[in-house]
Amino acid sequence: MFVLAEKGMKIIERFIPMRHTDIRELLNFKKTPLNLLVAFTTLVFLVLFVVGATNYLIHGHHAYGVTREHPWGLMIAMYIFFVVSSTGLCIMSAIGHVFEVEVLEPFAKRAIHGALVTLLSGFIVIFLEIGHPLKMMIYNTISPGLTSAIWGMGVLYSLYLIFIVIEFFFLLRHDHKWAKRFGIFGLVVGVAAHSNLGAVFGFLVARPVANGIYYPLYFILSAMVTGCYLIFLMYGFKYKLNFPPEMQKTLVATAKILGLLLAILLFFEIWRMLTAIYGGMEDRAETALHILKSSPFLVGEILLGIVIPFLVILLSNGKAIKTMVFASLGGMVGIFFMRYDLVHDTQLYPMQTLKLREYQLPPTFIEYFPSTTEIFIALGAIGIAITLYYIGDKILYLETDPD
Amino acid sequence: MANYGMALDYKNCINCKACEVACKEENGVQLGADKHRIWVGVKEIEGLWPNLSIASSTFEPSQCQQCENAPCQEVCPTKATHYTKDGVVMVDADKCILCSYCMEACPYDARYVKEDTMTVDKCTFCSDTRLLRGETTTACQATCPTKVRTFGDLDDPNSEISILLAHREHRTLKTHLGTKPKLFYLI
Amino acid sequence: MKVEISRRRFLQGSVALSIIGGTSIGATSLLSDENEHGEMRIMTRTTNTKAQKVPFLCGMCVNKCAGVARVEKGVVVKLDPNPYFPKSRNMLCPRGNAGIQTLYDPDRLKYPLVRVGNRGDGKYKRVSWDEAYDAILNGTDKFKGLLQILDEEKDNRSTIGYCNGEGLSKEGFEELMGLKIGTPNYVDEISICLETVLGGYSATIGAYGEADMNNADYVIIAGANRAEAIITPDTMDMFKRSKGRGLKTIVLDPRFTNTAAKADRWYAINPGTDLAFVLALTYVVFSENLYDKEFAKKYLIGYEDYKNHVIKNSYTPQWAEKITNIPADEIYKTAREFMSSEHPIYYQGRRSVFAKNDFQLRRAQAIFQGLSGNLDKKGGIIYGKKLALPKEDVNSPMYAQAQDRFDKEGIAIFAGKTGSWIVFRNMVLEGKNPYPVRAMFMRKHNPMAGVPNTKKTEEFLKKMDLNVMIDILPSDTTMFCDVILPEASYLERTSPVASYGFLEPAIVQRRAAIKPMFESKTPEVIYKELAEKLTEPLWKNSLKYDEDVQDDTKGMKVDELAKYYKENGFDLTEPWEKSVEELNKERVVKAFGEEAWNTLEEKGVYYPNMDKYHKQLNPNEYQYYPEDKKNYTTKGDKLKVVVNFKNLAKKGVDPMPTWHDEWAFKVPDGQFRLVTGRHAQFTQSGTTNNMALRDLIPTNYIWINKREAKKRGIEFGDMLEVKSSVGKVHIKAYPTEKIAPNMIFMLHGFGGSSKEMEMAYGKGGNDASIIEDKIEPVYGAAVMHETNVEIRKV
Ligand code: SF4
Ligand code: SF4
Ligand code: SF4
Repeated sequence: MFVLAEKGMKIIERFIPMRHTDIRELLNFKKTPLNLLVAFTTLVFLVLFVVGATNYLIHGHHAYGVTREHPWGLMIAMYIFFVVSSTGLCIMSAIGHVFEVEVLEPFAKRAIHGALVTLLSGFIVIFLEIGHPLKMMIYNTISPGLTSAIWGMGVLYSLYLIFIVIEFFFLLRHDHKWAKRFGIFGLVVGVAAHSNLGAVFGFLVARPVANGIYYPLYFILSAMVTGCYLIFLMYGFKYKLNFPPEMQKTLVATAKILGLLLAILLFFEIWRMLTAIYGGMEDRAETALHILKSSPFLVGEILLGIVIPFLVILLSNGKAIKTMVFASLGGMVGIFFMRYDLVHDTQLYPMQTLKLREYQLPPTFIEYFPSTTEIFIALGAIGIAITLYYIGDKILYLETDPD
Repeated sequence: MANYGMALDYKNCINCKACEVACKEENGVQLGADKHRIWVGVKEIEGLWPNLSIASSTFEPSQCQQCENAPCQEVCPTKATHYTKDGVVMVDADKCILCSYCMEACPYDARYVKEDTMTVDKCTFCSDTRLLRGETTTACQATCPTKVRTFGDLDDPNSEISILLAHREHRTLKTHLGTKPKLFYLI
Repeated sequence: MKVEISRRRFLQGSVALSIIGGTSIGATSLLSDENEHGEMRIMTRTTNTKAQKVPFLCGMCVNKCAGVARVEKGVVVKLDPNPYFPKSRNMLCPRGNAGIQTLYDPDRLKYPLVRVGNRGDGKYKRVSWDEAYDAILNGTDKFKGLLQILDEEKDNRSTIGYCNGEGLSKEGFEELMGLKIGTPNYVDEISICLETVLGGYSATIGAYGEADMNNADYVIIAGANRAEAIITPDTMDMFKRSKGRGLKTIVLDPRFTNTAAKADRWYAINPGTDLAFVLALTYVVFSENLYDKEFAKKYLIGYEDYKNHVIKNSYTPQWAEKITNIPADEIYKTAREFMSSEHPIYYQGRRSVFAKNDFQLRRAQAIFQGLSGNLDKKGGIIYGKKLALPKEDVNSPMYAQAQDRFDKEGIAIFAGKTGSWIVFRNMVLEGKNPYPVRAMFMRKHNPMAGVPNTKKTEEFLKKMDLNVMIDILPSDTTMFCDVILPEASYLERTSPVASYGFLEPAIVQRRAAIKPMFESKTPEVIYKELAEKLTEPLWKNSLKYDEDVQDDTKGMKVDELAKYYKENGFDLTEPWEKSVEELNKERVVKAFGEEAWNTLEEKGVYYPNMDKYHKQLNPNEYQYYPEDKKNYTTKGDKLKVVVNFKNLAKKGVDPMPTWHDEWAFKVPDGQFRLVTGRHAQFTQSGTTNNMALRDLIPTNYIWINKREAKKRGIEFGDMLEVKSSVGKVHIKAYPTEKIAPNMIFMLHGFGGSSKEMEMAYGKGGNDASIIEDKIEPVYGAAVMHETNVEIRKV
C-alpha cells in the first residue's frame, strides 16, 4: 500500500510542488507533549469514527437519537459545522489572494487547504446522515427537485468542491492568475451554496423560529467568524505561539476584522431574540424564551462563541494574538453549539401539540440528545479533519512561498 | 383526474382510534407508537376537578392534510414527494433518500420513517391500496363508528364532500401558513 | 411452554411471506426488523390481487359486529365493516380492526397440551388430540381423570364445575356440560358483569330493551361509558347528535371519561350514589307533577305507592346533594328538562355492577323512564322484535346421583342457570359445599383476571383434581389447567347463526375466513370429539351407580340397553351429529327459505325484504328498514311497568327503590376508592396480547388526582404500590384532574401473570387481584367499586 501511495504521490508531484516526504516520514513528528496529545486524541477519534460508522451501517437510523418529532440531529449539526467552516476559510482566503488585501495574503493557501479539508469532512458526515446516499446521487441528477433548498445546496456544494480543488491546485503551482479566477468562482459558488444552506432552514415556514431573510445573511457572517477562528488555530498550532513578525501583522489584522464581524454578529443575535420574543407570535416567543434560558445558547453560542473573543480583541485592540488562539479554541466550541442550536432549536417547538395517547404527558418542547453512535461519528469527523490537515501540512507547501 | 380531500365531522369523534388501526392494517403501516399515518389528538383537560372544561377536551382526528401547497413537496430534493394526478401528496419510496427534510417542513407532524424501506411515509388517502382497487372510501372512513369522515373529489360539485362543504361551515388547521390543507373540519 | 416456538419462527413458518414485516432488508438498516424490545412489528397490507371476501362476525368483544374479511392467498389481510348489518351500522371499532393480530398472535395455543409440571409453573407436553381427550377421561400420573373422579363420587355429576365466556359457541358448551354431562354447577361472565342491569330492567319493564338513540332528544348516561365501552348500535347513534346537534347529553361519572367529553353537562357523582340521584329526580317529578299522568295510570303498576314513598322519605334534591356531590339546583334542572323533552331517555347503561344497590338503581331508572311515558315508542326505550329461528331441543338425561347447586349464601333471588362466581368459589374454598367440587371445565374464560380476588381464584383452581381449558391464548387461568385444548379463533370458524332483534331485526352468520391454523379446532368439533370420548365410559359409570338407571334397565338385553341409552339422552354426542354449517343451513332454510340462505351465505346478513329495504343513503350511511317498518312500538297494551313489586318483599328485597344510609360514599382518610373501567382499545384481558392494540395502550396506569399526586410527590410514570385488604399490585402513576382527590382509577384486564403471553405479561396491574370479593345482595353479582385502597410510591 505504501508503495502504491508513494507512486501516486510521485505522479502528483509532477504537477504540483510537494515536499519530498517519504510516506513513512509522514508519521514522524516532534514528540512534544502537545504534539503527542493531539496525535493521541486524533487517533482515538479515528477509532471512534470506525466504531460509530460501523454501527450506523448495521443499524441505520436506529443507531441515532433522531425521532419523528426531531428528525435532524447531531449529524446535520456537524455537517453544517464543517461546511460553514469551509466557506469561512474560503472567504478569508479570497480576501487575501483574490481581492489582494496584502496583509491577509500569507494564509491564502493554508486557508484553502483548511476549506478543502473541512468540506470533505462535512461530506463524510452527510453521507452518514442521508439514509440512502447512493440513491441521492442518482435521483438528485435524474429527478431534480428544483424548489428544494437541499437540492440546491447539494449541487452548489459539489460545484464549490470542484472549484476550490482547482483553485488550490493553481495556488500550489503559484499560478496566481488562474488561482484568482477559480478563486472567484469558488467564492461565488461557495457563498451561494452557503446562503442556500441558510435557506434550508429559512424555508421551514412550519417551524416558528426558522427565520426566512435572516438566515442566509447570518450564515455568511458566522462563516467568516469561523474562518478567522480557524486561522488563529492553524497558525497558533503551527508556530506554537511564537509567531514570526510577518505573521503577527497578518494575525493582528485578522483579529481586527474578526472584532468587527463579532460586533455585527452579536447585534444580529440580539435582534433575532428581540423580534422573536416581541414579534407577536406566541409559539415563536415561547420557543425563543426557552432558547434564551438554555446553557448551550448562553454559555456556548454567546459567551464562548462571541463575547469572550470579542472582549479579547476589544481590550487589546486586536494585539493579543496569543490569547486569541485560546479564545479561538473556545470560539470553535461556541460555533459548534451555534450549529447544534440551529438544528435543535428549529425543531424545539412541537408540530403536534395534542396528546395522541391517554397515557402520555402533553407534548412540550421536543427533547433530543445525540446517541453514542452520533457522538462517535461527530468526534471521528473532527479526527478525520485533523488527519487530512496534518497530511496536507506535511506534504504540501502551504505558505505563500516554498521555504 | 380528481382532487381528493376529506371533510371531518369531528364533533362525532369518540377518540376510539379505529381509524388508526384500520389504516395500519390496510396499508401495512408498521407497529410502534410513533409509526402512524393518522391519529386523534386531544388537549390536556383544563380546570380542576370537578370543574373541568368539557370544551377543552375536544377530540381532533387528523392525518396528512394533503396540502394543496405542500411544504413537504416543495423541499424534496429528488421529487420523491409529489402530487398524484388526483391531488394526493405521495412519497415514491424508490426516490426517497431519507434526508428527512420533508419531516422538518411538514407543519402537521404527518410524516414518519417507515422502517422496512427506511424511507419517509405518510397518509396516501389509500391511493395505492383501496382506491387502486376501485373502492371509493378510505380505510379510516369506512371503519369509523360515528362516521366522522367523508372522503371525495373536491372538484366534483356533486360529490358528497363538495355538498357538505357547500352547506356547512368548516375550518382548516394552521391555515395561516398558506399550505392550503384539504382536510376540512366541519363546524 | 416447552413446545413453544419463537415469535420469529412462528411467522416464518406460517404466514410470513404474505405479511409485510420488518423483514425486508434496507441498505442502511440490516437489523431493523426488531425494535429495541425485540418485538416483531408485523402488519398486514392489502394489495391489488384477487381476494376472497368472507362475511364474518367480530369476536373481539360481545357486540358481534358484522365484517368482511379480505383474504389474499390464504392470509387474512384486512377486516372491513359489513354494511348490511343494522346492529353494527357499517363499522368496526379498533379491536375489530385489530382482530388480525389476534388471529396471527404468535403466542396462540397451537396444539393440545397436557401438564407435566406443577400447576402454574408452565411445564406442558405437546400431545395429540386423542391423547388430550384421554388425559381428560383417564388422567395422567400428575392428575386424576374425570372417570376416576366420577367413580369416586358415585356418579354425582355435580362434582364437576364449568365456566364459559360470552360468544356464539357458548351455548354448545353449556349443552355438553350442563344438559348432557349433567352438572348444574355453572358460572359465567354474567355474575361478574351486568346481571343486575338485566335483572332490574326485566323485573320492572319486562326487558332491558333498546334505547332509540337516533330519535331521542335528551339522554342521561350514568356510569356507562359508551364512548369507551362500545356497544352497538348505541355508541354510533349517541354521538352523532351530541354537542348541540339534537341530543342533549348529561353524563354522570366519578371520573371524566371520553363519554363525559361528549356531554353537555358532566356531574362528578360519588361512586355508588346514583340511586340517590334518581330518587331525587323522581322526587322532583312527583312533587311538581311533571310525569305523564295518563301513561302512568295505564301502565305503571303501583306508582301511587311509589309517589307516597318518595315524597314521604323526602328524597329531595337537597338531600341528594349531600350524598351524590351534585348540586340540588342541577338535579332540579335535570329533572325538569328531562320531563319537558319530547323523547327523553334515562340510558339503561349496560355495564358491570359497581355498587351493592345496583339492582334497586336499575329499578329506579326504569321506573323514572316509565314516568316520562317514553317507553315502547320512537325515541324512547323500545322492545322491538326478533326473527325466530327453529331450534332442536337437546335430549338431556336425568342423573339420579346429581345434586342441586349450592351457591346461594347471601343471595335473595337465586338466578338459576348462571349462578354467582364469587359465592360458588368462596363456598368451595370455605368448605361450605354440601358435596365436593373436584373438576373445572373452562372455556374462553379467565377468572384469574375477571373475578375479584385473584388469590382466592388461584386457590380454588389449585383445589381441583382436574382443570380443563378450551381457549385460543394461554391466559392466566390456562396456566393452572391440566389439559389445554386449542380452539380456532373467530376468524377460523363458522359459528351457529344468530338472530339480532329490536328495532331492525336481522339474522347473521359468521363464516370462517380461513381454516383453523396449527392443530386448533372449532369449538363445536371439540365438543363433539370430547363427547365421543366421554360418552361410553360415563354411561358405564351411570350404570354402575345410578339407581334410577339401574331400575330402568334391569334385565335389558344389549340392543334394548343401546336403545335406552339413545332415547334417554345418555348418548352425549347427539347434539353434534350435524356440523355447524349443515345445521345453519337447515335452520335458515326452514325458517326463511333457500333464497334467504343464499343471501346469508353471501352477505353474512339476512332479513325479510332486505333487497328492497337496504339502501345506501350516502358514502357513510345506509337505510336498513324504511321508517314505517321499524319496530318502534311492539308491546301496545301489553306494556307494563312494575313499580311496586310486592313479591320482592317476600325475599327480603325492597319492593320499591329505597335508599339506605349504609350506601353512602365513605373513604377513610389517606385512602382512595378504587374504580375500574374501560378504554375503547381493548376488551378485558382477552385482547391485551394483541400487538396492534398494545400500541395504543401498552399498559394500564393508575389515575390519581393531580393535586393529590403533587402532595405525595408522585409524578407521571412513577411506580406505585396499590394495596387493598385482599392484595396489592404495582402500577405506574398517571396524575390527572379527571378524577377526584379521594379516588383512583385503573383499567381492567391488564397485569397478566401468564408468561406465555409475551405482550401482556407483567404489563400493569390486575385489578381483580385487589378488588375485594363483595357481592350485591339480590343475585350475588360481584360489586366492583366498593374497595378502598392505600397507595405508596415504590
Ligand atoms: S374511528 Fe372515527 S370516532 Fe374513532 S377515533 Fe377515528 S375518527 Fe374518531
Ligand atoms: S400535511 Fe405535511 S405531509 Fe401532508 S401534504 Fe401537508 S406538508 Fe406534506
Ligand atoms: S365493538 Fe369492536 S370488538 Fe366489539 S364486535 Fe364490534 S368491532 Fe368487534
